[in-house]
Amino acid sequence: MDGLTYESIDNTVLATLSPPRRSYWITVMLLFAGVLIGASCWLYQILVGIGVGGQNNPVHWGTYLINFVFWVGIAHSGTLISAILHLFRAGWRNPIARAAETMTVFAVCTAGLFPFIHLGRVWMVYYMLPIPNQRTLWPNFQSPLMFDVVAISTYLTVSSLFWYTGMLPDLAIVRDRTVGVRKKIFSILALGWTGEYEQWRHYTRGYLFFAALATPLVISVHSVVSWDFALSVIPGWHTTIFAPYFVAGAIHSGLAMVLTLMIPLRKIFHYEQIITMHVLESVAKTIVFTGLIVGFAYATEIFMAWYSHSTVEMESFWWRAFGDYSLEYWIMVICNTTIPLLLLFKKIRTTIATLFIISLLVNVGMWYERFVIIIGSVAHDFLPHAWGLYSPTGIEFGIMIGSFCLFFFLFVLFVKHMPSVSMTEVKETLHEGETHAG
Amino acid sequence: MPADQASIMGIFKHEDQTAAAIKALRQRADWTVARVHSPLPSHAIETALAPPKSKVGWFTLAGGITGFFTGFLFAAFTATRWSLMVSGKPVVALVPFFIVGFEFTILFAVFGNVLGLISQARLPRFGPRPHYDDRFSGNRFGVLAQCRPTQTKQLIQFFQDRGAETTGAESQPREV
Repeated sequence: MDGLTYESIDNTVLATLSPPRRSYWITVMLLFAGVLIGASCWLYQILVGIGVGGQNNPVHWGTYLINFVFWVGIAHSGTLISAILHLFRAGWRNPIARAAETMTVFAVCTAGLFPFIHLGRVWMVYYMLPIPNQRTLWPNFQSPLMFDVVAISTYLTVSSLFWYTGMLPDLAIVRDRTVGVRKKIFSILALGWTGEYEQWRHYTRGYLFFAALATPLVISVHSVVSWDFALSVIPGWHTTIFAPYFVAGAIHSGLAMVLTLMIPLRKIFHYEQIITMHVLESVAKTIVFTGLIVGFAYATEIFMAWYSHSTVEMESFWWRAFGDYSLEYWIMVICNTTIPLLLLFKKIRTTIATLFIISLLVNVGMWYERFVIIIGSVAHDFLPHAWGLYSPTGIEFGIMIGSFCLFFFLFVLFVKHMPSVSMTEVKETLHEGETHAG
Repeated sequence: MPADQASIMGIFKHEDQTAAAIKALRQRADWTVARVHSPLPSHAIETALAPPKSKVGWFTLAGGITGFFTGFLFAAFTATRWSLMVSGKPVVALVPFFIVGFEFTILFAVFGNVLGLISQARLPRFGPRPHYDDRFSGNRFGVLAQCRPTQTKQLIQFFQDRGAETTGAESQPREV
């Protein structure tokens, strides 16, 4: 961050809010077209029925639940970076905290769509809400699916409030540096923030509590998501390791997505001096760490199956590795545990191209992890005559493409209209040094 | 602010100059520090002002306690509407309802936190702020000091001696 001043930080970030070029709008339109493809597929499914998806007996949960878990996982890293690393005073998180929080909010929004899509009859969604239905029947909070509704709704609310609160000082900077309609909009958004010490005094305290509350929340949310599986009796799902395994996997995938988003953002918006190589390298080192945890979890699952002497468990894990979905299994293992180890080499983790490619491969691996867990277990459970296979249909692929496009569409809109780097926190890093997060 | 007081805003480039000016101002019985603006939270300014601890945490705590009981009791209430045993668990099952209670604890604690923050920091506030300079959000520190109108020149000199530029020498007839 040598050569940066408060003014140059503001100028660099505010320059990203200048009127976009045509290429930007073409990108936005292409992503929007992808969103429309997804929406059309969903509409078709609503009109025709859930049978247009590939779900069958015994594989009732297909790509809708895979994508749900995938996007919730992506969301988690934003909270890791913004909250947990804030508590640890890791200064390198400051330049990427805003984009990571934004990723969290949009990923949870995307994830939240999938239970609706998976319902089929989406108009029945109110059955999940804590209100009595027409038969005065209330939802049953003993079900892990109801834990999920509560946990994901809480997570979306908390991460959105955390994100917005963190933006207040930056919104004031934009307000003070613009004119006309934009000034009016940002005046409202900034809520009259003036940087008075009285405001900072309460803000820093409130932000600290936000971080302290978001930390157990993020761990609980993916634990709850894992219990959707672990509280059943299906082999491969019914295991106590699932909660920490899911949390580690979520952070692993989220960190990879942070790199996938940050590397182009850094290049396009000329953030090289703010999002330094040290920042990207720190993310890469954390990916190595989470990759090792994920690898340890994979090995522990296999060990538990063998050590339990449970025939069904052993068969389930043997089939995962050498059965019909063995390709997916080995993609998962290699992409999530072996490829991240390349980041141990300094040359690889300090080369932008390799970092970017590895981040993409980890994302692919984490998507396949959800595939292996969700499909692999129910496809091959207790009774051989009830075994079956699953493959997604075109409609499911359309909805999946739509979800990716929706996420990137929202992200691309955000980064061009709001400060994508927290100017205030970068100034704190400049002021306090990179070992201090303010 | 009393009607017979004048306000001068000292605008500083550096945090340490600002903190030093605040310390010096606080040592004078006849001048007071009305407001301090900063583009980032500053430990040096905090030390110089020696403010009381923020009360936001109490709002957070109250929200959290309310949330836990709301969540747990709500789950228990819904279960008692249909007193059916599910999976061999008691109708009011402690472990699953604790999870609902936990999530509500976080949710309501965050609501309390936000409420505490906006009420204590007096946000939102959309009216004009006298003596506010647009640079305060970006790269300048501001100290608004008050003195008797007859001491205006000394106060301006005080700020300038410490490397500040100054604005606003007029008397302010209303509370800032």
